[in-house]
Amino acid sequence: MSDDRNEEDADKPAPHFVSREPFDPDDDVALTPEQEKFYMASQWRLMWWKLRRHRVAVAAGIFLILLYLIAIFAEVVAPYELQHRDTRALFVPPQAIHLFHEGKFIGPFTYRYKSRFDLENAQWVHTPDTTKVDRIRFLCSGGYRGAEYEFWGLFKGNFHLFCPAGKRGTVFLLGTDRLGRDVFSRIVHGSRISLSIGLIGIVLSFVLGIAIGGVAGFYGGWVDNIIQRLIEVLKSFPRLPLWMALSAALPIKWPPIMIYFGITLILAFLDWPGLARAVRSKLLALREEDFAIAANLMGASTKRIIGRHLVPSFASHLIASASLAIPEMILGETALSFLGLGLRPPITSWGVLLNEAQNIQVVALYPWLMAPMIPVILTVLAFNFLGDGLRDAADPYT
Amino acid sequence: MSIRQKLIDSCLATALILALAATGSVAAQSGEPPLLAALVKSGGLPPMMQRLPEQPRVVEVDSIGRHGGDLRISMARSKDTRMMTVYGYARLVGYDRSYNLVSDILQSFDIEDARIFTLYLRKGHKWSDGRPFTTEDFRYWWEDVANNPELAPLGPPAFMRAGGQLPTVEIIDEYTVRYTWQQPNPFFLPQLAAARPPFIYRPAHYLKQFHAAYADKAALERAVKERRMRSWAALHNASDNMYNFDNPDLPTLQPWFNTIRPPQQQFVFVRNPYFHRVDPQGQQLPYIDRVLMNIADTKLIPAKAAAGETDLQARYIFMSHYPFLKRAEVKKNFKILLWNTARGSKVALYPNLHHKDPVWRKLFRDVRFRRALSLATDRDEINQVIFFGLAQPSNNTVLPQSPLFREELQTAWAEFDPDQAEELLDELGLDKRDKDGVRLLPDGRRVEIVIETSGEDTEQVDVLELLRDTWLDVGIKIFTRPSQRQVFRNRIFSGETMMAVWFGVDNGIVSADMSPAEFAPTRQVQYQWPKWGQYFETGGKAGQDIDMPAPRELFELYGRWQTARSTEERTKIWRRILDIHADQVFTIGIVCCTKQPIVVTNRLKNVPREGVYAWNPGAYFGVYLPDTFYFTDAGN
Amino acid sequence: MFRYIAHRLLVMIPTLLAVSAIVFIIIQLPPGDYLETLIAEMQSRGEAVDLGQIEALRRAYGLDKPPIEQYFSWLFGLFQGDFGWSFEHNRPVSELIGERVLLTFIVTFSTILFIWVVSFAIGTYVATRQYSLADNVATFVGYLGLATPNFLLALILMYLANQWFDLSIGGIMDDKFRNQPWSFAKFGSVLQHLWIPVIVIGTSGTAGMIRRLRANLLDELQKQYVVTARAKGLHPRKVLWKYPLRVSLNPFIADIGSILPDVISGSAIVAVVLNLDITGRMLLDALRSQDMFLAGSFLMMLSLFVVIGTLLSDLALAALDPRIRFSGGATR
Repeated sequence: MSDDRNEEDADKPAPHFVSREPFDPDDDVALTPEQEKFYMASQWRLMWWKLRRHRVAVAAGIFLILLYLIAIFAEVVAPYELQHRDTRALFVPPQAIHLFHEGKFIGPFTYRYKSRFDLENAQWVHTPDTTKVDRIRFLCSGGYRGAEYEFWGLFKGNFHLFCPAGKRGTVFLLGTDRLGRDVFSRIVHGSRISLSIGLIGIVLSFVLGIAIGGVAGFYGGWVDNIIQRLIEVLKSFPRLPLWMALSAALPIKWPPIMIYFGITLILAFLDWPGLARAVRSKLLALREEDFAIAANLMGASTKRIIGRHLVPSFASHLIASASLAIPEMILGETALSFLGLGLRPPITSWGVLLNEAQNIQVVALYPWLMAPMIPVILTVLAFNFLGDGLRDAADPYT
Repeated sequence: MSIRQKLIDSCLATALILALAATGSVAAQSGEPPLLAALVKSGGLPPMMQRLPEQPRVVEVDSIGRHGGDLRISMARSKDTRMMTVYGYARLVGYDRSYNLVSDILQSFDIEDARIFTLYLRKGHKWSDGRPFTTEDFRYWWEDVANNPELAPLGPPAFMRAGGQLPTVEIIDEYTVRYTWQQPNPFFLPQLAAARPPFIYRPAHYLKQFHAAYADKAALERAVKERRMRSWAALHNASDNMYNFDNPDLPTLQPWFNTIRPPQQQFVFVRNPYFHRVDPQGQQLPYIDRVLMNIADTKLIPAKAAAGETDLQARYIFMSHYPFLKRAEVKKNFKILLWNTARGSKVALYPNLHHKDPVWRKLFRDVRFRRALSLATDRDEINQVIFFGLAQPSNNTVLPQSPLFREELQTAWAEFDPDQAEELLDELGLDKRDKDGVRLLPDGRRVEIVIETSGEDTEQVDVLELLRDTWLDVGIKIFTRPSQRQVFRNRIFSGETMMAVWFGVDNGIVSADMSPAEFAPTRQVQYQWPKWGQYFETGGKAGQDIDMPAPRELFELYGRWQTARSTEERTKIWRRILDIHADQVFTIGIVCCTKQPIVVTNRLKNVPREGVYAWNPGAYFGVYLPDTFYFTDAGN
Repeated sequence: MFRYIAHRLLVMIPTLLAVSAIVFIIIQLPPGDYLETLIAEMQSRGEAVDLGQIEALRRAYGLDKPPIEQYFSWLFGLFQGDFGWSFEHNRPVSELIGERVLLTFIVTFSTILFIWVVSFAIGTYVATRQYSLADNVATFVGYLGLATPNFLLALILMYLANQWFDLSIGGIMDDKFRNQPWSFAKFGSVLQHLWIPVIVIGTSGTAGMIRRLRANLLDELQKQYVVTARAKGLHPRKVLWKYPLRVSLNPFIADIGSILPDVISGSAIVAVVLNLDITGRMLLDALRSQDMFLAGSFLMMLSLFVVIGTLLSDLALAALDPRIRFSGGATR
């Protein structure tokens, strides 16, 4: 109460106006709807928004999704079935797709080629015959050799994204190899193995890394020390020689599928230390946080604390490092298959295809056989760009 | 300074020496290689007439050559130094180009009753270090090596036995030695002429320092310790490998000897100044001074050849490299020769007659099944796709160049006749098929054959790819399983493999006097019947005895061949053996008569335009005597 | 500082011991041993196998002893400089490795130099031009190097070099210089052949380096003192060079430890393709034929390279950055 009021007015209300209307205490700090979305958004939402602004990463992500779709639907995307070969089509160079024939637009087509064997040079010579036009069909089913497939080995089909025209037409986008197999189709089929190895390897690596790193970070002390030493030891191994050694140890008796898993295990074997180290250092920091202590005090089990509270806090970092580790694995599988230590025919992967292309004759005479290099490069690039974007976005609060 | 070191130094001095025309022409007149001329002049080496044996072997050559030059070849591993023993082809007796046996290191030999062999050495023949080559070297091997319990715990090697008996070895004099067996030994001379010969002689003067019976005890112990061997026997065995060329100190009789201790990336073989052959003009062979062997990865060797970095290259070059090499032919001044090969079949399938599954074993042992598989094979297509159409579809049998060849042998059951194949399969009771068209066994399982490969040869894998379709058409599904050499073989030996793919018989250019061992169950490495072969090899201690009539007959024929006394008799036996094989289709051959590309620089002469590139007999280049090859620009 | 060095050296020892144990286990994993490989090979060549002699060899090589004993005898040998015996080549392993160490070192060193120079140049250039076209292009090119499979690139470059520059196929020097004493010509030949492996291996390493340098430099350039300097009118190049660059050099030194394993393993595979005289091919063959002492010693040597490299980089970092010294060896 102010002092310059008269005494007879002491029990009268003060001369200021107080509205009786209901009011919002936070009025002056009211949030606009956008701001509200922002502050109330979950961690994942924020990450997504930040990622979205990094356009290259988004493009890479879309590319990868497309790639994995192709891998899943490989039989449909590839015009020819995996084992199909054409005895008359050995070492055919990539067929050009034309749109105009004699000045008229008739849609995408290839010229049929004439083949003869040059005895002098012991080489096949294929020349396009500009009179025979083979129109490429889209969303077609069957009608030529090599159209039939078993989708994932489960049921038969012959629907394709695009097919050659009729019986004698061919569409060898990237040429053929020494047995007359379409390189493009083999690359598409091979994507299934190559792309999945990275994923499965990452899963294995994650499991190992989080488990071991988590234990180290959470318990600390001598457990931590030992694990740290182990990590250091594994990190000082030069990767490829160790992979070579482990691959040489794989029993040949194993069926191809077991070898496949063996290879992913080997690749993961040298990858988890990095992950474990990151997990460990994060955990060491985070376990001192209030929420962790609170959970502990409330009686949560160790597993629950690690799994439910701590790990999600840095899951974003894990995702980022995963996306950078996957290309390592893809390259690793490629390198091992190249050395003849990884997958071998009849399994088809990009590494196996490159192994077949790895000699001077190919470089000099049949360079299109090196085409599998392109998807490898593109995939690795895409993963790296995506990983960069994810890493930038992983700390949405900074 | 050892002779070898002097030689190496003289290589460098040669450039100066050869610039002096006088020395060059003098050397040419006397037949003395210019490389050695300086050494001879300075007294470091005796003159040529004293280095050669009293009666050197005079070799006929297509054209008289000149001394000089370095021959560059490429190999893939340090171990390939042994190839120089193969190419050098200095043998006690060797094959000539028509595969007749002629004496080479030996002056001559006598055979009595097919079981008594008298060998006459050349008087004055010396080792590469100048020490005399005499029957002492034979005696040393027989008494102190082959029959020494520490050096050879199992006794002398198997090839020294005929009818299970060892020979009596008599040293008649310094240059005559006689081997007497109780039974005929038709293998003895062919063995001596083999690509990888048994060395029944050793440089005694050199090896005695490693032998406990001759060497100074203390010195020997020191040497053993130094080389970290466990015993003197190990040291001796490590030092006396006449084949490998891995010990530069070991004296040899070959035309060139190794001067670099393995492993290295390059080996330098220098001429042997005491080599026993001369050309018709009296020039001492070899013409070429040095052979430089570069070690490179197998995949790079075709590239090196195409880049002109080799002078004579056949090993590790295949027909698939032909187009690539052809492009560089003119620019890099070399020619690609196409020699014939000797394999019965370049690729062959071996159904395992010991497969552990009884149903499959019965099937493989049924000749109709094997015939059906052979009929279902489109050899023409395989020939076209993989071998450029340059090979011949064929069974795994003898080749057209062999005197024992008949066309029926090559074509029996080898035509592509899927209908007949289906008939046979139906006859066998495999007439039911499932929804995919794959036939079913009587017990309901699919007729699926797993074919294993050693994983080394893409041609074999490609052949299987092509087989897949035609066999599927007659209802048989194939799975390929790539493996690794050791595991591959072990699985075959134990009967776990169903069918293996490998090369065909090594030697298809046989005459009646050559051993039919490859066609009878005699060795474990015969992938269709490893256990019977093992039984024979181990003298009955391991493996199984033959329990099928046709292989049993083959084995008996083999025994009769060994004791046959005349070529007619042997020819009759051979014919029967080959007929049985053609009829029974124990192995499924694909194509024969593939070509071997040989990259030869245009500067190298006396390399035959056409020849047979075979391991045994033939020693690859051996029978064509590389010591008679020479460079047109030698001595410049 | 001394404490730091001593501490790191001490830590190195158990690390190396653990490495040796793991290496040995891995070598022993495949079933069988060298002699079985030998038998298989001899049989496939049609040579008669003398089982008695094989037994004698087995005893001579100590392959009949239990693995633990073999491991310890190998380990003790290592300490004495005796790396064991190579069955395949019939020579002491130390002779075989020794020849190759020099060349491995040359290749590794050149590659790291290459990585430094290139990433330094590109990294500083793009850090000052963030988000520009040059930045994106450089990042892209860096990633491209990372993504391309080494071996194929090596093969292509070798072929092109042979076609355009007449460079001999494979090898670290022309064939004619082999077994010759070192001379200028020989050295020149080595340099001529060296650039292919260096580029091939180096391109994978530059991407990461560029990224790190760029990130660090960008961080530094945001700091107050840089802004102040610029505000005060210091020449931009001086602003860049005098302080921020020196600070951001830390990761260069520090990261040797992480790029070294990659360089060494990259060199192994490139060595196989290009037929270089360094570790790769021999290691591969030794692993395949289970020549265990040779393979084990090679792996040990490579790991030793890495460990020593890491140690040196840590020491260099400690020397360079007083903060690390005083905080008692905190890891990167």
